[in-house]
Order: sequence, then C-alpha cells, then structure tokens
Amino acid sequence: MPRHIKIGLIVLGIGFAVSLGFFVDIVGRIRSMVNERETEENPFTPPVQPLYSPTDPPMTAKIFFPAADGDVLMTAEDETIFKSAVLTNRAKQILQKVQEGPHSDKMFASLPKDTKIQDLFLSEQGTAFIDFSNTISINHPGGLLNELTTIYSVVDSLTYNLPEIKQVKILIGGVEKETLAGHCLLLLPLEMDLSITDVMPRQDQTAAAIQR
Amino acid sequence: MRKRLIVFLIAALAATLFISGPGRAADGNFPIYFQNSKLVLKAETINKMTYLPLKEIIEFLGLPYTDSIALETLTMRSGNSRLIVTSNSGLISFNDQIILLPGPVLRQNGRWLAPIEFLSQGLARLTGTEFRYRPGTSRIFAADVETPELVMNAQSLGPITRLTIRCGAPINLDLRRDDQNNRATLVIDRAPVDPLRERIDHKDRFVKAISFDDSDGTPKILLDLTNEVGDIKLAAADNNRVFFVDLIRKTEPITESPVPAELATSPKVDATQPERKVRTIVIDPGHGGIDSGAKGASISEKDLTLVLARKLRAVLQMRLGATVLLTRDSDIAMDNEARSAVANNNQANLFISLHAGFSPNPTDATSSVFIMKEDFGGKFTTTTSSPRDQLFLPWYLGYRASREASARAAKVLQEELLKTVPGWGFPVRTAPLAVLSSATMPALLLEIGNLNNPVNAQTLTETGFQNRLVGTIADAVQRFSESQPAPAN
Repeated sequence: MPRHIKIGLIVLGIGFAVSLGFFVDIVGRIRSMVNERETEENPFTPPVQPLYSPTDPPMTAKIFFPAADGDVLMTAEDETIFKSAVLTNRAKQILQKVQEGPHSDKMFASLPKDTKIQDLFLSEQGTAFIDFSNTISINHPGGLLNELTTIYSVVDSLTYNLPEIKQVKILIGGVEKETLAGHCLLLLPLEMDLSITDVMPRQDQTAAAIQR
Repeated sequence: MRKRLIVFLIAALAATLFISGPGRAADGNFPIYFQNSKLVLKAETINKMTYLPLKEIIEFLGLPYTDSIALETLTMRSGNSRLIVTSNSGLISFNDQIILLPGPVLRQNGRWLAPIEFLSQGLARLTGTEFRYRPGTSRIFAADVETPELVMNAQSLGPITRLTIRCGAPINLDLRRDDQNNRATLVIDRAPVDPLRERIDHKDRFVKAISFDDSDGTPKILLDLTNEVGDIKLAAADNNRVFFVDLIRKTEPITESPVPAELATSPKVDATQPERKVRTIVIDPGHGGIDSGAKGASISEKDLTLVLARKLRAVLQMRLGATVLLTRDSDIAMDNEARSAVANNNQANLFISLHAGFSPNPTDATSSVFIMKEDFGGKFTTTTSSPRDQLFLPWYLGYRASREASARAAKVLQEELLKTVPGWGFPVRTAPLAVLSSATMPALLLEIGNLNNPVNAQTLTETGFQNRLVGTIADAVQRFSESQPAPAN
C-alpha cells in the first residue's frame, strides 16, 4: 500500500475516534441535564390554596361508591365538606372524598390506586371538566360495570351535591380519551344517573325535572 | 452526434406525452341495463372522465337524430322534444333550455362521445327515463330496472378461506375453474345485480384478489387464486340468496365438510326454508392487543372473548346460514369506532359485543346485557327543522336508529340466558357505551361473569360451559331473527 494512503487511513481513524469520544461525552451531558431537571423541584408550582376558610359553614354531601350488596350498583354515604364561596373549591372537596374512598364496609373504593385529580375547571354552562392522572386508566382493573361505577361515582357525587354542575366531562392525562377502560364513552359530558343507585333525587332536582 | 441525441430525447418525450398524457387513460366495457335488454358500450376515459359513444346509445333507444357535420351538432328528437349537443362544448340544449355538463361533448373521427352524466342530465329529460349511476362503478341502470344488491365478504377460517356472497334476490352461481391460470369464475345467472363493492380488500394464502365484473353484460365474481388452492366447495342457503364458497388447500385432508352440514346437503333452492331476516351478524370480541381488558387468574378478557366469538360465529353460520363477521379474528387492538364501523360498513342486521366482567367483590357473579343509554348525546345535537340537515347525524347518535330493536334483542337474550345459565343474573342495563353508540343496527353488549371471581373464571374457561353459552346466544339470535321484519332488498 502506498505511504500516503496509509497516512490518510491513520488520520481518518484518529478523527473517527475523537468524534466518537465527543459524541459519547455530549450524550452523557444531555442525560445528566435531563436527570437534574427531573429531580429539581418546579419553582413555578403554585402554593396549595386551602379549599375552604375557617368561617365556611359545614354541609353534608352524598358521596357515591360501588355497593358491596349486589342488589344495586352504587350507593352513597354522607360526608361533611365546607361550603366554600368558590364553587370549584366545593367540587374539589367532593372529589377529595371520592378519592379517599368509603368508610363503610358496604361499599368499595371507586377510583383506582394512585389516581390523582390534576385539575378541575367549571364552565359557565355548568360543565365540570376534571383532569385525572393517567393512573385512573392504567391502574383500572377493567370490567364494564366496574368502569361504569368509577365514572358515575364522580359524576353523581358532583351533580347530586352541587346543582350548579349540570354535567361532567372527564379528561385523562390532560387530554380527551375515548374511554377510561375500553367501554364507556367519555367524549361527551355525562349527566347525573341515579338509576344505578339506591339514592332518590333531591327534592329541588325532582321539581326541576318536573318543570322541564 | 450531440444534436442527434437532443432530437432523439425530444422525440421520446413527445411520444411519452402523446401516449400517456392528458388525453386518455384505460378504456373498458360499460354496460347499460334496461328493463328487458342491455347495451354494452366501449367507454373511454378522457381527462379523468368517463365518456360513452353517443350515437350507439340513441340508435339502441331508437331515437331519430341529425348529425350536422357543418354545424358540428347532433340533434336528437323524441316527440316534440329536442336535445342538441355541440362538439367541444359542455353546454347542451334541451327544448332551448341550457344544461351544463361536467365536461365537453367530443366528436372524434366521426364518433360522438359524451360524458357519462349526459345520460342523467340530458338523455333522461328527452326520454323520460331516469338513469342511475354510482361514481366509481362501470355500469348504469335505467330507473325501472330491478337491481338486487350483491355483497361479498371473505374470511380466513383456519384451514379454509370462505367467501360469502349475499344477494338481494335468489340467484344461481356457476363455478368455472381455470387451474392453469389459478383463476375461478362464479357466473351469476341473473343480470343485472348491483355490487356494493367492486372488489374485496382480502388477501391471504389462497386469495390474491376477488372482484366483480360485468363488463360483457354477464355478472360474475372473479377469484384470482394462489396455487395452494385445491378444492373449491360451493353451497347455497337462504333460498339461494346466500352462497358460501370455501377454498380448501391442495393437501388438506377433508375430514368433514367445511360448509355447514345442513347447507351442504341442500345447495338447490329450498322453497320450504324460511327467509332469513337477520342475514349479517357482526360479533365483536372485546379488547385485544395491548388492551387485555380484565384479567382473571387463568385467562384474560381479550382471549376469552375471542374464543367465545369464534365459537359463536361457527354456531350462527350453522344454524342461521347467516354471514357472520368478527371485528377482530386475532389478538389485535382496535378502537371502538372501528369495531362498530365493521358492522355499519357491512350493513349488519345485528351487532353483538362480547365482554367479561371484573368486580371489586370477588364473590360477585353478576353478568349483564347492555344496550345504549337512552337519549345519550341528544343534548349536544343542534336541532334543525331542515330535513336536509337531519340526514347527517353525529356519529355518536347512530344507535338511535335501532334502539328499540336493540332493547328487544337484549330482552330475548336475557330470557334465553336465564333459562340455561341460572344464577348469573343477566339484568338488562343501559350505559353510554363507546362500541354501541355509532352502530346503526340492533346492537347489544354481553358482559359475562366476573374474572375476579375464581369460580366464575374457572367456569368461563370450561369448553362445555362455553358451548352452552354460545348455543344460548345463538338461540336468542334465532328467536330475535324470527321476530324481526324482513329487510328490504
């Protein structure tokens, strides 16, 4: 082999080795930067606001859960929340109670493990938009009736106790999803359905229904 | 030398443009069906439009005409009416009323060529006969011609491939094989028929292509096969309205007739056989692919529903001779809209979605029959008084068309299940179900058992129980079918 070709090949080899070294170093730096960013606390996270003030009067709310007794799909237990002047705060308190699960052994928890409520927003038309974390879907064990009770424990708990909320739209992971576990359509807001519960409609709701 | 090369290149380019350029594309035969006769024309495709020879049509219809070479017009008459077309013009005149065609009428080498729309927009006014043409097809029907619909479906069923042909009127099929070219032709003895699709998107180890052809005026189904096909079995059902064509592998030992036995023995018209009212059934095995659904100790929902769906398909084909399709026949993920689209696109008369339950209570054994929640989505539809707008419903309101029939079907299924599977509940429930919301035919969902209940899960995997269950569902479908009004052809 001629000498100049040998020299050329050696230079190329050295160049390749140096480039590879740079590449590995850069990849390592990017990875460490990403890890640092993940472990750092987000400085823009707003401080947690209280959902009620000490002067807010208490009120009883019916929180709906899957019933252990097979005669009916869902039943409700009475919980105390505080009547905050801000409707969103009242809705958030109710969702907290749903998230905590039932105290009675005649009911089952409705939300899957580690489900978080990421956001709640109320529209002027009376639609509550609730953004659940992806875990509501990922950790859901499945089954149509089970999915139905997960959804309607949220929908009925909100619409029964807060008449200003006419319907509930469920978002998952910040986006619209067709279903939660493959069965119930979530693309449209859902209204209260007490037919799957043993709870009678409130008197004011019955009167409103008759008027309609 | 260089000049010669340039000249050669320019000549080659010009020749290419002349051959494949904007002028013309592939030509083909184009039948026009009248009440007791048919006219097969040579159609030409010019500038992406289908053109038909005008003089041949008006001569076939016996209409007097004047071809003026000087004026470049063709005048057709019928009684006191007069229709004039002019060469290279899209404007035609009917009794001095101007009509605009989508393309110009052409006169080429003494032949008058008119866009296909000329028949419906011009000739229909002159003769008083409506002409029906579906874009994308290559046939026209005069209005008074009866055109039974022809639907073709193909499925891979383990060792065989089954082509199911359903026609709106009784027909006979004549199977002709061309083994040298790996082709088979099913000649239909009735003309015309109106195929829902010109070809089926189905390819497997036996089938390369399946298409409909009536370019010579004789309707036939062309099967382009692979060399793995051995025997082809043809069986008729439902008063010769349904045909099963089974393609069997060359080396496949035929231990039993792949065609349902009760049908294989009576391939001829059986006048005593009642007309099937539920002709096409779509079964949806719930979940699939990465979506396993509920998980039991020994089986997951997606596997159980697929096993049950395959069994149910076989039983329904045997009992009803119906076309039975599965939304999925393997372990694949599908969204709910695609599942109901299978039923809608195949004009199914019944849609059954199969699921298994999961309850937080491990002793619970409740099963349920579901139909769509009444009035779901109604508030999100803008009401309009215009009947034109009412033609277009939001997709999620598709269920409304058949909700009453769905409730009837659910009731029948509940009654049958309570007889043979006691203790499992089976209340009829309603829910906003994604898979049923856009299904336009009677549609229901069966959630069977509770995979979290060890006894239930064990029972659901037993072959004997599965057979009893699908037999009961088939009983219910048969009862429902008999109570349904016959579909219009």
